[in-house]
Amino acid sequence: MTARAAPAPLPPATTVGLLGWLRQNLFSSRGNGAVTVVLAVVLVWFVFNLGSWVFVEADWTVIISRAPLYIVGLYPYEGYWRLCICLLLISVLLGMAWRAWPNAARRFAFGFGAVMLFVGVFPHEMAPDHRALLLLNLPLIGLGYLLTPRPADASPGRLEAMAGSALSPALERVAIFSTPRRKVIAVFVALVLTMILILGIAGVPGLDPVNPQDLGGLMINLLLAFFGIVCSLPIGIGLALGRRSSLPILKVACVIFIEVIRGVPLITLLFMSRHILPLTFPEDLNIDRVYLAGITITIFSSAYMAENVRGGMAAVHPGQAEAARALGLRDWQNTLLITLPQGLRNIIPAIVGQFISLFKDTSLVYFIGMLDLVEMGRVSVQGNQEFIDNGREVYLFIALVFWVFCFSMSFISRRIEGALGVGRR
Amino acid sequence: MAETNGVQAAVDIPADKAEILARPLEERDDIVVCENVHKWFGDFCAVRDVSMRVKRGEVVVIFGPSGSGKSTFIRMINRLEEHQQGRIVIDGIEMTNDVRNLDAIRREVGMVFQQFNLFPHITVLGNITLAPQRVRHLPRSEAEALAMRLLERVGIPEQAQKYPAELSGGQQQRVAIARALAMQPQIMLFDEPTSALDPEMIKEVLDAMRELAATGMTMLCVTHEMGFAREVADRMAFFDEGALVELGPPDQIFNNPQEDRTKLFLDQIL
Ligand SMILES: Nc1ncnc2c1ncn2[C@@H]1O[C@H](COP(=O)(O)OP(=O)(O)O)[C@@H](O)[C@H]1O
Ligand SMILES: [Mg+2]
Repeated sequence: MTARAAPAPLPPATTVGLLGWLRQNLFSSRGNGAVTVVLAVVLVWFVFNLGSWVFVEADWTVIISRAPLYIVGLYPYEGYWRLCICLLLISVLLGMAWRAWPNAARRFAFGFGAVMLFVGVFPHEMAPDHRALLLLNLPLIGLGYLLTPRPADASPGRLEAMAGSALSPALERVAIFSTPRRKVIAVFVALVLTMILILGIAGVPGLDPVNPQDLGGLMINLLLAFFGIVCSLPIGIGLALGRRSSLPILKVACVIFIEVIRGVPLITLLFMSRHILPLTFPEDLNIDRVYLAGITITIFSSAYMAENVRGGMAAVHPGQAEAARALGLRDWQNTLLITLPQGLRNIIPAIVGQFISLFKDTSLVYFIGMLDLVEMGRVSVQGNQEFIDNGREVYLFIALVFWVFCFSMSFISRRIEGALGVGRR
Repeated sequence: MAETNGVQAAVDIPADKAEILARPLEERDDIVVCENVHKWFGDFCAVRDVSMRVKRGEVVVIFGPSGSGKSTFIRMINRLEEHQQGRIVIDGIEMTNDVRNLDAIRREVGMVFQQFNLFPHITVLGNITLAPQRVRHLPRSEAEALAMRLLERVGIPEQAQKYPAELSGGQQQRVAIARALAMQPQIMLFDEPTSALDPEMIKEVLDAMRELAATGMTMLCVTHEMGFAREVADRMAFFDEGALVELGPPDQIFNNPQEDRTKLFLDQIL
């Protein structure tokens, strides 16, 4: 084209200023205006009172002095460095996620780094080597970032722009998490190492086994929810495939399992795992309640996961299976290569939602005598004369911790959804 | 590779088949034989008593009003629908419930759908190499080389690493053609391949089909692109209410239809 096209006309202004917005949305009629005013007064009054309590009256010393209990329970102090190493592993993974899904994980990685920085420099009692290990998270997020190659469709990040073109061949060489398989292996290795570090191995110096009873606080909520979800994914997929299968016995068995588990509250399952199931064990078999809780939560979660997976697979367009058959793929190949991957992608938001509710549900393990974050909060208040009046501070803190985790999860899930193009054909 | 009409064939044609393709149409063997085929959905008879023989290398265009059983008919040829009465024989293989027969027939027959039905979670290259690797057990490098050759044929080799959603409709449909050809079929089925496309993309898909027809591929196309039919079809089949009403060369269909229903329908759409 030689002639330059006339500039496209601009869209009409959509904003009519703050006043216009207010008039349109909050004061569109006399009744609306009244409701707005009343609600605004209530809101200001509420926020003011809460704020003055939080910043003036409340006494937060209980949180600071009991922080380790809330975070890691009765985990032995000599093993704290092992938990710090676990955090470092998580940092590397976060850096990897930041690079692979910049929109989804960047703020998450920043937030994690900010928390580590805050705790690392906060003026409270903490061993200098623990502080150093916490601060080491910041460079390790960067390391994870650099170990992952830039996605083909992303523009160079600020880090690379600073490093300049001289460094980019070197950067390419260190980017070892290049294929999906390697990323999965990295995640898997990190998970296994985390378990080993947290629980310890008998006979390895420095890695003394930790009494499972001592696991507690936020750590046990996160561990149970995370391993519950991770382990329930393959089980749930198996159950969903069984439910879709044409073998009647397999199908009925899967349906019964799923419906029975979904029909029973988690707290009942926990009770049975603790008090009824052991009746069927041989006498000398003594499984710790932490593992029983883990297994129970996994089973509970699998039933829901199975229904999610089934729904996700049912939502795959029937034309996909027809195309697969027309190409000569067998039914099982169609299921594994076409329907299941698309079904799983469909349910990423549902899986995160399930993780969030499972994470909150893990606070029920107090029922079989475990000291999770909520129970630890209760004990720290009621078991100590000094803090007997600080229940409000403690429970507000606990609520905030749960909220921060759940909110960041749903945030990251919405972004990953966008990055993977869920709902796009 | 065999050559027909001076155009390099899209798929490998065995020497004996190539020899048959060199003969004039009426002296070739029947690659598709349908005898008195019926299909019901519940009580509703979607295809009734259709008999049709298609020669190797022949192009048959199928047309007719919506709901007349065109899709159901061609979907029976690769067993996406099961025929309930009558007989279907594909390149000498009888269509039965025997899995081995079905596998053999699906290897012979490729299909292109109205809605493309590309696999959205794998790249264009992955879409094309999947079945050759999993069904024909080609090594990956060979499958990829084949895929690139086919993408070049349909004119979009530069899109190999993209995902289907990143392509235009016309490009997606050309990928779907390449994907079907990668299984080296002897017969290609098209079910309204251009109906979901914007007008400016129809031509690029029809061009790819035209070129395929010139290589001696046997094709059954459901389409209402009458210009394409006039130019490419050896015969045209008019379906109405599940029955094959008229079957003849384009010249007869367009200029001298033997059945009133054919004439009526053509008057409506032309
Ligand atoms: N899976 C099905 N179940 C019930 N009826 C169907 C099914 N598929 C097609 N039909 C019916 O069979 C008839 C022929 O359909 P189809 O072959 O798709 O027609 P065409 O492709 O000529 O438009 C239609 O009336 C349609 O409603
Ligand atoms: Mg149709």
